[in-house]
Amino acid sequence: MTAVQLKGVRKDFGNFTAISNIDLDIKSGELVALLGPSGCGKTTTLRMIAGLEVPSAGQICFDGEDVSEVAVQKRNVGMVFQRYALFPHMTVEKNVMFGLKVRGIDKADIDKRLTEILDVVQLQDFRHRFPAQLSGGQMQRVAIARTLITNPSVLMMDEPLANLDTKLRGEMRRFIRELQQRLGITTIFVTHDQIEAMELADRVAVIFDGNLAQYDAPDALYKRPNSIEIADFMGATNVFEASISGKTATAVFGALTLQDTVPDGQAQLMLRGEAIDLHLDEITDEPNILQGKITAREFFGANITYSVECGGETIQVIEQSRRMVEIDQPVWLTIPPERIWIIQDNP
Amino acid sequence: MPETKELARHRRERIWMWIQLMPVMTVLVVLFGGALVLGVAQSLGFAPWFGVNTFPDFSYFAALWGDVFFWKSLGLTLYYAIVATLLSLVFGILLALALVRTFPSKTLYKYLYKLPLMIPYTVGIALAVIMLGNGGMLSRLMAFTGFIDDPSQFPQILKTHMGWGIIAVYVWKQTPFVALTIYAVLLGVGRETEEAAAILGANKRQIFFQVTLPQILPGIISSTLIIFAFNIGAFEAPFILGGGFPDTLPVVAWRYFNDADYTLQLQGMATVVSIALVAGVILYSYLAFYRRYERRIGRN
Repeated sequence: MTAVQLKGVRKDFGNFTAISNIDLDIKSGELVALLGPSGCGKTTTLRMIAGLEVPSAGQICFDGEDVSEVAVQKRNVGMVFQRYALFPHMTVEKNVMFGLKVRGIDKADIDKRLTEILDVVQLQDFRHRFPAQLSGGQMQRVAIARTLITNPSVLMMDEPLANLDTKLRGEMRRFIRELQQRLGITTIFVTHDQIEAMELADRVAVIFDGNLAQYDAPDALYKRPNSIEIADFMGATNVFEASISGKTATAVFGALTLQDTVPDGQAQLMLRGEAIDLHLDEITDEPNILQGKITAREFFGANITYSVECGGETIQVIEQSRRMVEIDQPVWLTIPPERIWIIQDNP
Repeated sequence: MPETKELARHRRERIWMWIQLMPVMTVLVVLFGGALVLGVAQSLGFAPWFGVNTFPDFSYFAALWGDVFFWKSLGLTLYYAIVATLLSLVFGILLALALVRTFPSKTLYKYLYKLPLMIPYTVGIALAVIMLGNGGMLSRLMAFTGFIDDPSQFPQILKTHMGWGIIAVYVWKQTPFVALTIYAVLLGVGRETEEAAAILGANKRQIFFQVTLPQILPGIISSTLIIFAFNIGAFEAPFILGGGFPDTLPVVAWRYFNDADYTLQLQGMATVVSIALVAGVILYSYLAFYRRYERRIGRN
């Protein structure tokens, strides 16, 4: 159980600045995702926390203690690499024991912990296999076991679900989440996939161009991004220009009532497709009613996305596929005021 | 019948494959295989063009192997070959490990270190004579700076049975070759397993011997095989830089071939076949040993 803090961390590679200035507070036992497009500096940040890269400036603290100068071997962290980095010439059990052997732990103790950890990752039957004889999910579990057996104070993972197929992905997600909660180990992982970040993390740190753009819980990040770039990165589709006056936002398709007052002026208005209700009969007794016509329909199995044209703009509405509404059907949309999010440039 | 048609097509493909293989097969069978058969036959007394035909006759081998100087020559040959191979291996690995790291002017250095690969052995030998000989650059430099009073006091490096000159030329030429091979293997292996080992608490020595070395072993085996096979059969460096009688086996063979008594060529051929036998046995056991290791760690 270790709290991790980054204070004004900066990293330059020659003339290239990978990380400009990052402050990050990770609570003990928390599962945090570093999310960003490729090349944003998230992997560099993870490698600095692990001790594989030395920051150019700033401090990295474990439980308030500065570890910036501590060598990687002495930092007692764990890392699961994207392609697992298993030792190809060692069997599963030798891979897992490696961390204890190099620390000179006595054999009886190693054997005891090996048996325990192989039970945790359910790999008892595979202990004499070589990495090349394992599936992707099994290799990842070996990588996790190899790390956990050393009792690291912080666990780090690089794109933990990226190399797995859909079915295995769900399985590993549950496995990692359950393991992390059971052991209460502070866990940091890197991903470029917003879905992966949201499905796994307690909090998500969005990094753009070497800067921390937003650090929040997944639902807050999804519903209330603090910039257009983040909204875009989190997959927002309905973003419109609007002018704000009091509690009213006026866009091309009409005026919408907001729940809270925001400063007057030009702004971006974001609507989440699943927060909009679609009615086939005219509605009059609710706030924020828009009239429109369905112009396109996409079927995704569990969900359907409708494109609804309202006063010259197209709004995407996501509905569970309990019904199929035909194209060209006139519809009425209602939007709850609390689900309208206004993004304004910071003064 | 569609099946018959498929078979005919398959046969055509097979014939075409053999036609494509013909050029290289011809070279291998006629030039290499033919020479080998003829060489072995000659060493067993088959040389009617010299008026000698006692085939099969092991007396040339008996004469050779019964002579104590043959074994001394063999010892020298193996000593130069093994020491040079080991030194090239150690330096080559160190060089390759350095090359996978980033450092200033790396691009330039990556061209520079390959330079000896492009320069012929004879030029390397000439360089050794100019640099390392008594009266060479080094000795004059030492005398000039006052370390020794006269260039002639410089320790004898060339033309001794210690063979430092021969070994120096081999190492100078073969270190880049080993480095090139292992560098390519290291690039394929990547840094991740080393980093994973470091995070797991391994120190530099443990990382090298337990993680890096086993992964670059295929590169080590192939490059040392090639340079050892060359070193054991090389002629010009021991001929020019060696300490004279007893010579290495290839030089002994050359002396037989060059003798006014051309029937001694059969004795020379027996020497050459002996070199091939020794090299073959050593290289085969080396490979067999390595294969056993690979099977033990589960690689097939």
